[in-house]
Amino acid sequence: MAVAKIPSLINSALAQARPKFYIFMKYARVELAPPKLSEIPQIKAGLGKLITSAKTGAWKQQTVKQATLNTLVGAEVLFWFYVGECIGKRHIVGYNV
Amino acid sequence: MSDLPFGPPVRVSPLIRFGRWSFLTAGVLYGAFHQSRLSKKEAKFREIEAKEKVVRDAKIKAEKEMAAAAELKSLEEMVNTPKK
Repeated sequence: MAVAKIPSLINSALAQARPKFYIFMKYARVELAPPKLSEIPQIKAGLGKLITSAKTGAWKQQTVKQATLNTLVGAEVLFWFYVGECIGKRHIVGYNV
Repeated sequence: MSDLPFGPPVRVSPLIRFGRWSFLTAGVLYGAFHQSRLSKKEAKFREIEAKEKVVRDAKIKAEKEMAAAAELKSLEEMVNTPKK
């Protein structure tokens, strides 16, 4: 009885998830897209801004809210490294030697 | 874009997207490099272990034989001691 229901459960779950997945993909195509070659000047400008703010100490003149947001964004960007490491070593926890 | 329920997508700064993708690729390369390095190291270690295992097994076997012989000898002594 319970086993016979499983395929229909999976089908309905897929039918429920499909439109949401399409919406996710539409956002992800824009928000998670890799940077284009035409955006290199903007990236350079951003890096320059980061460096000048580090040099001049402008990063100390932020509100707590801004600083918190920047820290969170920085952490998120950093965590992509660990996602990449897990993909590279093809194991979730530790190195499988 | 009327089919998007959460409004138009946010224009994420190119610097952030560049950072994400570059960190992701750096992580993949780092993970793959260390995986191969560590598995080579471990393979060498296993080789040495396999060599040592032969020696160790022989030693344990000899020790066991000696212990069995000693036990037999002491048993014989116990049986053969003349009663007073």
